[in-house]
Amino acid sequence: MPATEASIMSTDILEQRSRRDARNERLFRWLLKGCALIVLASLLGAAGATLWGGRDAFGTFGWHFLVSSEWDPGNDVYGAMVPVYGTVATSFIALLIAVPISFGIAVYLSEVAPTWLRTPVSSAIELLAGIPSIIYGMWGLFVFAPFFADHVKPWLTSNLGNKPDDGKLSWVAEHVPFVGKLFGSDYPFGASILVAGIVLAIMIIPFISSVMREVFQTVPTRLKESAYALGSSTWEVSWDIVLPYTRSAVIGGIFLGLGRALGETMAVTFVLGNAMHLSASLLDPGASIASTIANQFSEAAGLQKSALMALAFLLFVVTFIVLLIARLMLRRLASKEGR
Amino acid sequence: MTDSALATNPASETAASAAAPKLAVRDLHFYYSGFHALKGIDMDIPEKQVTAIIGPSGCGKSTLLRVFNRIYAIYPKLEAKGSIELDGENILDPGYSLNRLRSKVGMVFQKPVPFPMTIFENVAYGIRHHEKLSKANMEGRVEQALRSAALWDEVKDKLRQNALGLSGGQQQRLCIARAIALKPEVLLLDEPTSALDPIATSRIEQLVEELKSQFTIVIVTHNMQQAARVSDLTAFMYLGELIEFDRTERIFTKPGKKQTEDYITGRFG
Repeated sequence: MPATEASIMSTDILEQRSRRDARNERLFRWLLKGCALIVLASLLGAAGATLWGGRDAFGTFGWHFLVSSEWDPGNDVYGAMVPVYGTVATSFIALLIAVPISFGIAVYLSEVAPTWLRTPVSSAIELLAGIPSIIYGMWGLFVFAPFFADHVKPWLTSNLGNKPDDGKLSWVAEHVPFVGKLFGSDYPFGASILVAGIVLAIMIIPFISSVMREVFQTVPTRLKESAYALGSSTWEVSWDIVLPYTRSAVIGGIFLGLGRALGETMAVTFVLGNAMHLSASLLDPGASIASTIANQFSEAAGLQKSALMALAFLLFVVTFIVLLIARLMLRRLASKEGR
Repeated sequence: MTDSALATNPASETAASAAAPKLAVRDLHFYYSGFHALKGIDMDIPEKQVTAIIGPSGCGKSTLLRVFNRIYAIYPKLEAKGSIELDGENILDPGYSLNRLRSKVGMVFQKPVPFPMTIFENVAYGIRHHEKLSKANMEGRVEQALRSAALWDEVKDKLRQNALGLSGGQQQRLCIARAIALKPEVLLLDEPTSALDPIATSRIEQLVEELKSQFTIVIVTHNMQQAARVSDLTAFMYLGELIEFDRTERIFTKPGKKQTEDYITGRFG
């Protein structure tokens, strides 16, 4: 009975194979799970290590560490207010400048630009994203900050600020609240929160615009055509159709840029001025969490080192809060659209 | 020559449509970066009737439709030559504003494409672009458009929900509502039922029947039964040329050209 033999053999082989497949499948799942766990483990490890390293500072100053703007290594007194404010303010300015410009670049490249121009400009943007931050820092320190100090800052202080050189307050500084404080400054240098924000904006524009451009290209042609068929202009199609359609990916791209801005170290250290002094003015120098750590870590010991570790932990917290806000924003937008 | 002049001008045959055509196409040529897609189309589309354009894939029927509202103009390297007169004015004239054209000529596409907004906003969006209305007037206009598109009863309780939650057939009727909300004079339908099931299809066909009292309708379809069911006039196109254009019953019973007969009897295409 050769036929039966053959069929017995083939069920044997089949069984063997299904056992092997099941084993491989299990192995593959464990491998994937392991890869995902590495991410979680490094996140928790980094957060835990900084919190542990900063325990002395948190223990010594308690909540005062968060709200105090004093940073005095001489007397061993530390507060995180100045670097936290500097980090948030520079990143916020960077976003304020980078997001509209990136949107313009992305709309131009995906909707308006002639086809032959699209590829070279897109590659140029990706190249920009690859420039090391130290180059931006050098450019900021040697070129942009002096230019800003000579040509832009005097105009801002005398037309908007509350400390003009000639002592005469401008109409804006007198009548619009806060503007005077934002643009008043006694320092003659360029390095300041505003300059750091501008340099950061230039650094994150390539990230945000290339993400935006990519997702704008995923919008179905027929969706755009339907809007054009109703008489919409390119601006209206971009703003009312393309942007809502790609909303979550666009916000993702913006937060990718924001993440880089919050943690950026070298370029900011070069152009922020590194003054541990809290000022409402955008034209005064300041400090960010990353620049403070970079400047002081090599010489720090004892409580100062612990304070720097605590700062690093705060950077986690700030980033986490920012991501949380992004989630909430997405959810509110979605409910507005009736989802 | 006399023959073709007759064939492309069915209006001359019936006393009812002896009036000036709504759309008069004259020697229309169309080029896709060098490819000659429409070769000298002449046709008169009468007002408040349904004109169907049929023909095999790639014959240029959708291209012709897309010239009627100049939607092709959003892409580079596309070019139309000749003239299309809408109530006597040449819409291919660069001086004819796109805004004006698109408020007069509405379009519905193959697949239903609701905007990523609520049902109400989908309809209000186009109106808002052309007119400033008070809240109450806007609500009235949206309701009117949804009623005309036979959708009101199904959506009146969920106007604030996202339009993507509707079924395919409902989405397509929403797209029709969106187009007629602007009160256009001409409605272009580009294979509006090709992505729908038979029940949704028959609802749309019924709707076309109802809408023709208000609008001049031009429908492109690859479904010959559909053309026979919904249209008053039928144009048969082949390889970028208008082969025959006549009353629908005539095209389907006594076509004047061999090619038309071959196509409608299923011998090719």
